[in-house]
Amino acid sequence: MPIPTLEEKLAWMKPAPPMEYELACVEKLSLGSYEIGVQRTNDILDEAMEVFMRSSRSSMGVAGDSIVSLFTANGDLVNAASGTFLHGMIQSIVIKYILKNYAENPGINDGDIWFTNDAVYGGIHNPDVVVVMPTFYHGQLIGWTGAALHTSETGAIEPGGMSVSAKTRFEEGFNVPPLKIGQNFKLNNDFVEMAAAFGIRAPQMVVIDLKARSTAADRARTRILELADKMGVEHVVGLFRKMLIVAEQSARERIRSWPDGKYRSVNFSDGVGPAEGLVRTSLMIEKKGDRLLLDFSGTSPENFSSYNAHPQAIVGHVSNFVYEYVFHDLPVANSVFAPIDFYFPEGTCLSPDARAATSCSVMIATGVMSAVHNCFGKMMFCTQDWQQVTASAGNAGNALVVAGLSQWNMPYSDMLAYSLNSEGQGGKATGDGVNTFGFPWAVFGRAPDVETMENEFPMLVPFSQHWTDSCGHGKYRGGVGSAQLWVAYHERDVWFLCTADNTRLQTPQPIFGGYAPCTVPGISIRKADLLRRMQAGEFNGRLDLTEILDEQSIEGQWIIEFFARAARSFAHGDVITIAFATGGAGYGDPLEREPELVLQDLQNNIISFWSAENIYKVALDDSGRKIDQMLTSQLRQKEYHQRLQRGLKYQDFQAQWSQKMPPQEILHSFGSWPEGKPIQMIMRA
Amino acid sequence: MKLRVTEYLDLDLDQDKWCCNKCGAVLNDADKNYKEACLIYERNPNEVHRPLVEAEYNFSPDPNWVRIIEFYCPSCGAQMETEYLPPGHPLTHDIEIDVAALKARVQSKELGIKEGRLYKSI
Repeated sequence: MPIPTLEEKLAWMKPAPPMEYELACVEKLSLGSYEIGVQRTNDILDEAMEVFMRSSRSSMGVAGDSIVSLFTANGDLVNAASGTFLHGMIQSIVIKYILKNYAENPGINDGDIWFTNDAVYGGIHNPDVVVVMPTFYHGQLIGWTGAALHTSETGAIEPGGMSVSAKTRFEEGFNVPPLKIGQNFKLNNDFVEMAAAFGIRAPQMVVIDLKARSTAADRARTRILELADKMGVEHVVGLFRKMLIVAEQSARERIRSWPDGKYRSVNFSDGVGPAEGLVRTSLMIEKKGDRLLLDFSGTSPENFSSYNAHPQAIVGHVSNFVYEYVFHDLPVANSVFAPIDFYFPEGTCLSPDARAATSCSVMIATGVMSAVHNCFGKMMFCTQDWQQVTASAGNAGNALVVAGLSQWNMPYSDMLAYSLNSEGQGGKATGDGVNTFGFPWAVFGRAPDVETMENEFPMLVPFSQHWTDSCGHGKYRGGVGSAQLWVAYHERDVWFLCTADNTRLQTPQPIFGGYAPCTVPGISIRKADLLRRMQAGEFNGRLDLTEILDEQSIEGQWIIEFFARAARSFAHGDVITIAFATGGAGYGDPLEREPELVLQDLQNNIISFWSAENIYKVALDDSGRKIDQMLTSQLRQKEYHQRLQRGLKYQDFQAQWSQKMPPQEILHSFGSWPEGKPIQMIMRA
Repeated sequence: MKLRVTEYLDLDLDQDKWCCNKCGAVLNDADKNYKEACLIYERNPNEVHRPLVEAEYNFSPDPNWVRIIEFYCPSCGAQMETEYLPPGHPLTHDIEIDVAALKARVQSKELGIKEGRLYKSI
């Protein structure tokens, strides 16, 4: 069967035209039954999501960094449980591929369980595993259900599923195109064994999560059948179609209310796998009438790392933002994308060759995640939707993987959910971003308790705290992220790797005069004296990030390096890493921030005195507990005056600025400067 | 009749001009990039993001990789926008509104303006 083309994948993410039967069912919906029906789908999905989380074994599954979705018989997404919205969008491709290619052989039957994790066939990246099931009602196909969750292991050249060192698809472990893996409501044992074999670093996690996906999809399927029993099958068919219609009409109406024009953002990343290199994501949104075109021309070429993404993965990342902020009050339906088109130039890191490594696609997609905040924000701020304008969340990745043999003699390989689920939200048009708000890829996920982490893995977590000054400053600052200390424990070696970036520069752009969050290095301490001193009661249960950094108060061999790190092992007592979750970008001019809010942040250790003085120009009185209003006003007036003194007129600025360029050695993956055109052919054997 | 396009940027639809929302100063024509009328300052990122450790990687952006470009209102000094750009990278023309189309929609009463914001006329 052919690999779906880019055109097919983009078309399949939009809704199919309604069938006459569906429209007839819509007409039969009684007054109020639509609204009640929508809520019933929410309830069904919430229940299935709860089942999913309680059935999962891996950290991200337990945290709820996952999704359960409902689809029409044609494969169109009509609603989803809060979670990784990007997984919802791409399942339409998977189902439509199955419908097109496999209806006859092997056939689509009641009780089927279908599987895929292959980004070439429509996935996000191969650790993101999708299970879909058809919903048959007395022999009639009336819909599909799906459950998707990042797997903890793919059998790649490194543990954890996201191989930071892979350079081609062939180093990324198993890639399975849409495949029937179960019949008559039972998983095929031969496939389960294959999953266990590829997941040999953590077979219990891989197999249990596979069963959890199937269980969650089946729970939603079962409840839809009960709804059909209760309300009639035409109610379900009509409800699903009307949800698509309402979502599309509402989306078009909202888009139409914004001003026509072009809105642009460029975002940069500094990682090409574990190597450093400058990469650009370029986005222009052209808005005309009730349509949007998202054009990624100017994005850097595909590169020889796993930091590439296939186009539908990028649409998925756009959908995260769209469902969270722009169409948050509509069903999570793919029909909101009916008026939204995409242009991906081939050969860019957002539309690479099929042989490209893409297991870290979510990292290269961070530029898009940030760019949509700025482009939509500048399109919407002058409209009645202005309150939804928000600077980008922190999204440095923080994908920290540990692997080995646990204190329970169980093999494990897992991406830990605490750092993922505790990044800072961007500053908002209405106030500060939320501190440690969540996972930018799944905002409703939950960071686990430290005790759970320590029980599952051979590590000690002596502190978890808000990370002071990690926010982007502004009138409304970004939320701060978190920091944890991870120490290898239980006399076990721990393998560790990290998929991330944002060490040389920050990918999120601030908005309306704010600042970006700080950058983040990878820090570990080998042969650390921490455990010995803790056992001697030296820290009295108190450890603090600022003190550790200021005084390097933990003695040992400090290693401060790029945040992304290839797999390496740590011995008992080593500080594996300081696990950072980054802060959100800032909104607005910091000089406009209410001084009392600055004081409050100081008292809560959210910002430092240095930032209060140097960024916000706030002075405290002699007590150190109150604002010196007069001095603060003077400092701010002085800063306004200095801006007028030091700022250059455009022509004068350009005369200096245009003579500069980055060092040549960091441009190996950028493309030509500054156009970003391909300048080398990538050969993948 | 002004439209509040960003926190600090107004679009004056009567004069087809960009204006500062804070002080009201006229910047430039609405079909141009408002940034060209701002005062512009290239800032070393270390001045905003204090290095926290003495190391090559120190929690502060590397100025060889990125600079902060600050755009100030030439009248009042409000920091209207910022961009984090590699040295020499072209400035972004971030907002390019089809002003003629917008005015036509307002004049036809398809859209209204209330407190500086567009709303759908009923």
